[in-house]
Amino acid sequence: MSEALWLLLASALSLTGMGWIALSMEVHWGQVMHRHAQDAADQRQWLRWAGFTALPVSLLACLMADRPSMAVLVWILLLAASAITVSMVLVWRPKWLLALGRLAGPR
Amino acid sequence: MPSFDQVLLPALQRIEPDEADYAANMATLHDTAKGPMTPRLELPADEYWAYTTHRDPVLRLGVGFGVPLAKDPEGHNHIHGNATIDPRTGAAVRSDQLKIGSEWFYPMHYSLHLNWMYLGVFIVGLAALVMMAALVTGVIMHRKIFREFFTFRPKKHTQRSALDLHNMTGVVALPFHFFFAFTGLVIFAAYYYLPVSQFQLKPLHDRHEVIEAQETGLPHQAAGVAAPLSSVDAMVTEAKRRWAARDMAGEVGYLVVHHVGDANSYVSIYRAGSDRVALVGEGIHFKASTGEVLLEDPPRSPVAEINEFLTGLHLQHFEHWFLRWLYVLGGLLGCVCLATGFIFFVEKRKSAHAKAGGQGSRVVDALAVTTVTGMVIAAVGMLVVNRLLPADMAGKGDWEKLAFWGIWLLAMVHAFARSGPVAQARMNPAWREQCWTLAALCVAAVALNAVTTGDHLVRTVFIETYWAVAGVDLSLLVTAGLAVWAARQLGLRERTLPRASAHERSVEVAHV
Repeated sequence: MSEALWLLLASALSLTGMGWIALSMEVHWGQVMHRHAQDAADQRQWLRWAGFTALPVSLLACLMADRPSMAVLVWILLLAASAITVSMVLVWRPKWLLALGRLAGPR
Repeated sequence: MPSFDQVLLPALQRIEPDEADYAANMATLHDTAKGPMTPRLELPADEYWAYTTHRDPVLRLGVGFGVPLAKDPEGHNHIHGNATIDPRTGAAVRSDQLKIGSEWFYPMHYSLHLNWMYLGVFIVGLAALVMMAALVTGVIMHRKIFREFFTFRPKKHTQRSALDLHNMTGVVALPFHFFFAFTGLVIFAAYYYLPVSQFQLKPLHDRHEVIEAQETGLPHQAAGVAAPLSSVDAMVTEAKRRWAARDMAGEVGYLVVHHVGDANSYVSIYRAGSDRVALVGEGIHFKASTGEVLLEDPPRSPVAEINEFLTGLHLQHFEHWFLRWLYVLGGLLGCVCLATGFIFFVEKRKSAHAKAGGQGSRVVDALAVTTVTGMVIAAVGMLVVNRLLPADMAGKGDWEKLAFWGIWLLAMVHAFARSGPVAQARMNPAWREQCWTLAALCVAAVALNAVTTGDHLVRTVFIETYWAVAGVDLSLLVTAGLAVWAARQLGLRERTLPRASAHERSVEVAHV
């Protein structure tokens, strides 16, 4: 796979990872899903785990694209970009994150 | 880098010793006891250099001219002469034309153009140190760092939302902010901040230089015997072949000819750092008269490798466009962090100052306008002035510098003149007005570039793709869009806020 595709994958992974971590938090779960966070403790636990797995996997994708010294820089800044993007989506377009939340299962 | 023999050498041979440098330093370096001072144009060339990166449309080169009867023959006796050429043709670029990027904004970021006693360099160093302290203490103060990692509440009052943004932009890009302040200090530490090799340890430094020259076999001194220069292009080909053999194929970034025209002359060729973070030169040194390899730089020590990585991380010579744009984002997040810090400071004190009749928040707010919108206006204004002034105007660069300071000063005067409402706990209308000004200047810069150079966006994006120019134009248009949006939001707020505060006042009156 070419360098650009790996970087695209790394960006997607870091963005979804940050999205999952945000959704696993009480306030943001409520903001997006319009349901009480206490009712979805299992789903949120699952999302938290998925989020914290996606971020290191994103680093792996960065390492596939570039030499390690460069990949680490790309990854650190990708995390920053993703965190900002997720925060802004949470405020202005929370519905965009619905799909990410539903992945954690029904109910 | 273009052919040395065909393009660079003729350009180097045309360079004259700089008049100002000669006037300032020749008398200090020359020993009158040994004989009369050599006239400026008769100084012999002692060193040639040429430098370029993939980011530069032009190529910089220069000559170090020797001082024949020097007070200290062992010392660094050079009168310099520098030039900029078009690397395609070798034609010289006029020296009074300002390279706004590499000669204005780039030095400004580390010297503020305050060159007296390196004052600017030390202010920037102090600021970097304070920034590192502020980042660490900020993280400690911000107790809900993880719980509020994604928290931004724009609909709450300004003080709250400004603090949310301040925390968020500071925290998510914390490694970026920290490492840029830190590596900036590292880069300047040995030269400006802790120059022990030039003071306390100067004898050791000089001795080391001589011993190093003996160990490497590269002649530290000229032999005093004339010798011709063989083909440097052949040496470049050989250097590239050796880099490729090490699996580090690359272009030449920096080339130096030492002791020009002497039997001891040698040519050092360094690799451009366009494919990795660390700035590894992988220098290869050739005997100038024969072209045989004298030395390949030995493997680096771990300390040198760390230093090269930190330096490269800051100077970003690499050609990785995704990472370069992520750096832009990191820098912008830093700007948001600073601006929201300013706004938070003012918002927190505004009402109290208004009640007590103090002017403190009014002054800080006006300074915030000057630094946040005023500085961008000055920068874009400079681009507009660059397109408006005729290309053949004498001293054009100096006028552009003057325009930058002048426009910035005007922005400050405007910010202070309009700051009255802040003393009544309201918003300074200068924020909105300067956003409109910025938007207008950005559009004007793009339009003027299209008219005066013919490089309009349709051409630079679609017909003869030229991303360096298109990128600047597109960034200016995005800036204009953001400025219009911000101006309209500020306008809305200005119209709604006075009513709200009038309402609060009537409630207070009712309570009394």
